[in-house]
Parts: sequence; C-alpha cells; structure tokens
Amino acid sequence: MQTHIISLLVEDNPGVLTRMSGMFTMRGINITSLTVSPCEKEGLSRMTVAIEGSESELEMVRKQVSNLIEVVKVVDLKDEEAIIRDLCLLKVHAKDPEARSEVMQLAESYGAKILDAALDSVTLELTEEPKKIDRFVDLMRHFGVKQLFSTGVTAIGIGAGVER
Amino acid sequence: MTREKLSGAEIVVEELKTEGVEVAFGIPGGALLDLYDVLYKDEAIRHILMRHEQCAAHAADGYARVSGKVGVCIATSGPGATNLVTGLTNANMDSSPVVALTGQVPTSVIGTNAFQEASTFTFTMPITKHNFLVKRTSDLPKIIHNAFYIANTGRKGVVLVDLPTDILAGVAEVDLHPKETFVGYKPNIKPNQVQIKRVVEILANAERPLILAGGGVISADAAVELRHLADFLCAPVVTTLMGKGAIPENHPFCLGMAGMHGQLYANRAINECDALLALGTRFSDRTTGWQLDQFAPDATLIHVDIDTAEINKNMQVDIPIVGDVKLALSGILKLLEKKREKKSGSEWEKRIKKMHEACDSCVEDISREGASVSDILIKEISNLLDDDAIVTTEVGQCQMFAAYYYMTKKPRTFISSGGLGTMGFGFPAAIGAKVAAPDKKVVDIAGDGSFLMTCQDMATCVENDIPVVVCIFDNRYLGMIRQFQELFFDKKYSQSDLGITPDFVKLAESFGCYAERVEKPEELKDALNNAFESGKPAVLDMIVGKEDKVLPMIPPGGSITRMIGTERCKHI
Ligand SMILES: Cc1ncc(C[n+]2csc(CCOP(=O)(O)OP(=O)(O)O)c2C)c(N)n1
Ligand SMILES: [Mg+2]
Repeated sequence: MQTHIISLLVEDNPGVLTRMSGMFTMRGINITSLTVSPCEKEGLSRMTVAIEGSESELEMVRKQVSNLIEVVKVVDLKDEEAIIRDLCLLKVHAKDPEARSEVMQLAESYGAKILDAALDSVTLELTEEPKKIDRFVDLMRHFGVKQLFSTGVTAIGIGAGVER
Repeated sequence: MTREKLSGAEIVVEELKTEGVEVAFGIPGGALLDLYDVLYKDEAIRHILMRHEQCAAHAADGYARVSGKVGVCIATSGPGATNLVTGLTNANMDSSPVVALTGQVPTSVIGTNAFQEASTFTFTMPITKHNFLVKRTSDLPKIIHNAFYIANTGRKGVVLVDLPTDILAGVAEVDLHPKETFVGYKPNIKPNQVQIKRVVEILANAERPLILAGGGVISADAAVELRHLADFLCAPVVTTLMGKGAIPENHPFCLGMAGMHGQLYANRAINECDALLALGTRFSDRTTGWQLDQFAPDATLIHVDIDTAEINKNMQVDIPIVGDVKLALSGILKLLEKKREKKSGSEWEKRIKKMHEACDSCVEDISREGASVSDILIKEISNLLDDDAIVTTEVGQCQMFAAYYYMTKKPRTFISSGGLGTMGFGFPAAIGAKVAAPDKKVVDIAGDGSFLMTCQDMATCVENDIPVVVCIFDNRYLGMIRQFQELFFDKKYSQSDLGITPDFVKLAESFGCYAERVEKPEELKDALNNAFESGKPAVLDMIVGKEDKVLPMIPPGGSITRMIGTERCKHI
C-alpha cells in the first residue's frame, strides 16, 4: 500500500465528481483526500486525488479514469517531482501558560500561523506537505487537539509547469 | 447547420433522423408524452412498442450488433428507466453501441421524490459509457449528436440521455446538426507504428503462431483482414464467445471457441503456441481459465485493443497495441508481406490440420457415442440454417451448446450475452436482429428458464409482424445450475428444478405465434420448416434430456490445460 497523488483536469460539469469517485469506488480503492477547484482554463476544473493502492491498481485506475469522457488529462504526481501541500486548521488545548507558550514555540518552528488565542486554547494554521503536517499534528496531540480540519492535498508539478 | 425554433421533443426527433436512426424500441409514459406526440406525427422513425423496457434495451442491443449501427431505446422516467438497467448493462458490457432516451420529471422538481422520479443520471453512471442529464432545451442538438458519437466510436458502448419533461416541452431557437465538440474525448484509433514493427518481428519468426479473436474483430469489421493474416501466417484462429463469427468456423485454420466451454483443441492450441496475437478481447476468465500462468505459457503475448484500460488488466502481455483492430491488422499485414513470403507446410500447420479434423469429428459426427438429445438438436439446427441466418442465445446450457456446436460462418450472425450473461437476452435481441435484417432467418436458442424471463414480448412480435423463431431447449431445469450442482455439489439440486409449467405451445399460441412441440430430434427438421413457412413468430418446444450436460468444460477455478468430460472428443 502506498499513497498516490493523481492530478486531473476535468470538464466542469455537474456529476463529474460522482463519476470520478464512482470509478475509484468500483475498484475498491480508498480515496484519502480529494480537492476540486477552478483552474487557469475556463470550463475546466482541477481535481487532486490522493488514493491508497498498489502500483498496479493505480495504473489500472489511471487508465480507466482517462477513459471518462469529461476527463481531459490525468497526471500521476510522484513525490520527488511535485510540490504537494495541504492546509490544516487546528484548535489545541492550552490551559496553563507554560503549555501555551510551548505550543506557540512549536508552531513557530513549523511555520504555523497563530490565528486565534483564547484562555484555554490556541487556533493554528499550517500549510505544508502532508508528512510534515502529520508530524506537527502528532506533536500537538501531546497538548490535546480539540478540533482538526484539513482541506486535503493539492499538488503541482516542479519545473516549467508543463504537465507530462 | 440550420437555425430553427423548435420544441425539445422536435429537436430530439430531428437529431435522431440526422443520425440515421430508422427505428427505436420503447414504451411511452407520462414524462414522454411530448416526445411520443412528435414520433406520432413524424413517421420517419419506426417505433416498435415493446412489452417491457428491459426488452427494449436488448432489442436495441441486438439491432446494433446485427446492423453495426447505433440501436435506440426509449423509456419513461422512474420505473421505465429502472427497467432499462439490465438491458443497458448488458449492452455496455459487450461494447454494443446503444443510445437510450429516458423521460425525467421536470427540472423544477428533480430531487424531491416526485411521482415516477428516479435518479436515472446517477444510477446509470456506472453502467454506461457516458450519460447526460439535459438542463436546457438549447443544449439538445449538441447532446444528442455527442451521444451518438460517443456510443459509436472508440470502444463502443451505451450512452443515456435523460430528458426532463420541461426540456422536451420547452421551445428554443437552435442550430440543428452541430459537429461534435469534446475537450477530453479522443477515441484513440491509430495504432503505434513502432509497436506494429515489433509485432511483425515476433510473428515473422514465430514457429507456432496463434490468433485469438474477440468481439473487437467483429465490431471493427475486421473479419477480412483477420482471414488474410491467418492465411498468410498459416496461423490457427481460436475465438472467444463474442468473437464467434470473426472467422468462418469451417475454415481449415479455425479451431472454434476457446475457454471454459470451448473446444478441447482450441485450448490445446493456446497451450502449444509460441506467439499469441489477441485481438479485441479482454481476456475474460471464461476464456483464459483461472490459472493465468498456464495460459499460453510458452508464448509471446501480443494484445491489440482499442481500450487502453484493457491492456494488462486481466493478463500481463509482452507487446500491447492500442488502437482499432482493423487498422492494426492491415498495418501488420502490410509489413509482414514486405518482410517475408507466405510459408506453408510447417509442422505447426500439419498439427493444426489434424486438430481441426479432430475438432470437426467431435462436433460434426454427432452419432458418436454419448451424444445427448441437446447435442443432436443444436447440431441439427446448425446444419439446417443457412450461412446468413442469425442466431441469438439465451443464457445457460442452451447458450453453451450453441457456442460449442453452432457453426458460425459470418460476422454479426451469432449474438449472445457475453459479459453479463443475462437470461432473457436472446429473445428480445432476436427481435432487434430481425428488425435490422428482415430478410434473414433469426433463431433464438433458448432455455426454458431464460425464455420465461422475457417471453411477454411475443406480443411485440405478433403485433409488429416480426417472425423470429424461438427454439426452447426444454429441460424443465435451470440446466446450467443443475449441471454445476451435479458435478460439483453432490447432485443437490437446490432450487434448479423448474417443475412442469408452463405448456410452451399453448402459451405461444395464446399470443398468436406458431408453435409446435418437438418430442424427438427427428421431428426438428419439419418443425423448423413449418415455423419458417408459417411466416409468423414461432416457438418450438424441444424436449431435451433432463440431465444433458455441456461438455467438455474447464471446472471453475481450473486451468485451461485441464478440461473434464472430454470422453466424446476424438483424441490425437
Ligand atoms: C438474469 C439471470 N438470473 C440468473 C442467472 C444465473 N443463471 C445462469 S444459467 C441459469 C439457468 C438457465 O436456465 P435455462 O434458461 O433453462 O437454460 P438451461 O441451462 O436449462 O439450458 C441461471 C439461473 C443469470 N445468468 N441471469
Ligand atoms: Mg432449462
């Protein structure tokens, strides 16, 4: 099992998301994260799908997704060739002052923004690659994570910007 | 393009005519009154009123497979659409080009559980190649045209267009007959020349080449190219169920259908070959058996298919070619002819001739010991029908008897439910076939269980004068299930015994069909003659052995190298 990130350029039609996710469901592939957003071309949207599966499952589903009429392009983004980001919002318990300053220090060292601070909690924002976010969240669990929201990954290829 | 002010229903019919649609199979309903009103006034399209929407879809499917054109079926919203589902799934699984038009509740109430609302757009997504829910009357010209374009290009399939009543009733000023416009859909049909060269290299040097022809050969109309290549290479041809008819089965190089219920020597040839050229097939487990390492173990595997997603899906291959089978075959032939002379007289050719004879003698010589009544009847049907006759099949033993014994001579004359294995397919498919080819004899090889699933459409045949002949293999069993229970479940016939009803002769006569009972194989010839002579839709109730079995076969989970029940086969 491995996490793969697929970037799709799709026609911005109603139902295209259902059609896409149905394809993964049919093959029993778990989608760990999915984002949809407008892109630089009018009438098209970009979807970034993170899925778990073997290399061969990925290959299969990539081809089947390419077959969908509304899919314009499918790019399989490899870790080393792409910039991958996730945006995470979390509310951390920090009742005593000592904990609070520790949370803030750690946040700073990870490059997280402090969005709000209350007497018993701190709200943070971190935009990073998923692995780093995982590490940060794990750290915060020591203090107690009250709430965690994450947008799901989005990714872009490195270099001149021409997707393979 | 001409700009006109029309109602949605008028636009639909105009565009259907432009697509060359001559006939549609359907049933009206509240959501489709506008459309049927236009069909009533405009007589350019013949509408055949079916008695069940599943049959409308099967008939459109049968029509498409026989004519090579897109078949059209129509059903109303809600229950009409849900009834279509089996038929559409069946057509899509077998890559048959069908466009389905469904009624839908008005756009203003979609999603409110309105009367006869069903979310057709959602539940037909996974069973179609593509589907549309029309939101604006002015979108209709483009959508209808695109639907036909998608259905009939690339890997063919089903496209459904869901038509809300207000869209059909609404009026718009539109440009009719637009050109197709797609951003992402480019049906890849030109094979890669480098791959072709590699294939030619392999085939030119192979000592024991073999061709496996699937349904893609027929749907690409590539039978002529296939024959040329087989002749040039002196390569035997085996087929899948869907590939039956890609090559005349009496051709000296044809070894018949391979796989689970295939010919012993077709499977042997797969074991023995050193290069296997698979054309337009998805390597279904019914063809390969279940132990893939024992499928063509010594061969370089070459796979030509129009669908990229079929490459390396069920079978890892050495050389893939994505593209149209016809183009690939002519590309291969052209290079091959430059590269070397036609060679004949090889050891392999001699071996194939012997295998063909052995094959022939088990199929042809029906008097051999151990032949069942079913064996004899199906062989007799095969002998009695002319080369142009079209055979459709139901599903079960009847289907596999037909696949094994029926000598198919031409493409598009053997129509069977391959991917989905749908009981009840054969009869309505025969209706579609007869409508597509009124001058040809059309026979449904039926099981008693299957026929009961769609037999109400005898009314359609009688009312519309569609004289197809149904030959029921009447064993009063869900025979294929019974066979598996006999062989693999200790003869525990759980729920496979159909009892004694109905009387098929009386049933058929009550519809106004010609009907006759065939108690003994000797009576078949006259009965079949009478059926055709009657000029009516006809049903022959052929009494077969209750315990007849389709053999030889690969047991489920088994390997293509080990068939059971080969006693009746001639051994060489
Ligand atoms: C719609 C549907 N339901 C169930 C099955 C499972 N099934 C496969 S063959 C078969 C028996 C078919 O019986 P019959 O039509 O009498 O043909 P026979 O095998 O007796 O020739 C059944 C129930 C199926 N293929 N299709
Ligand atoms: Mg039966």
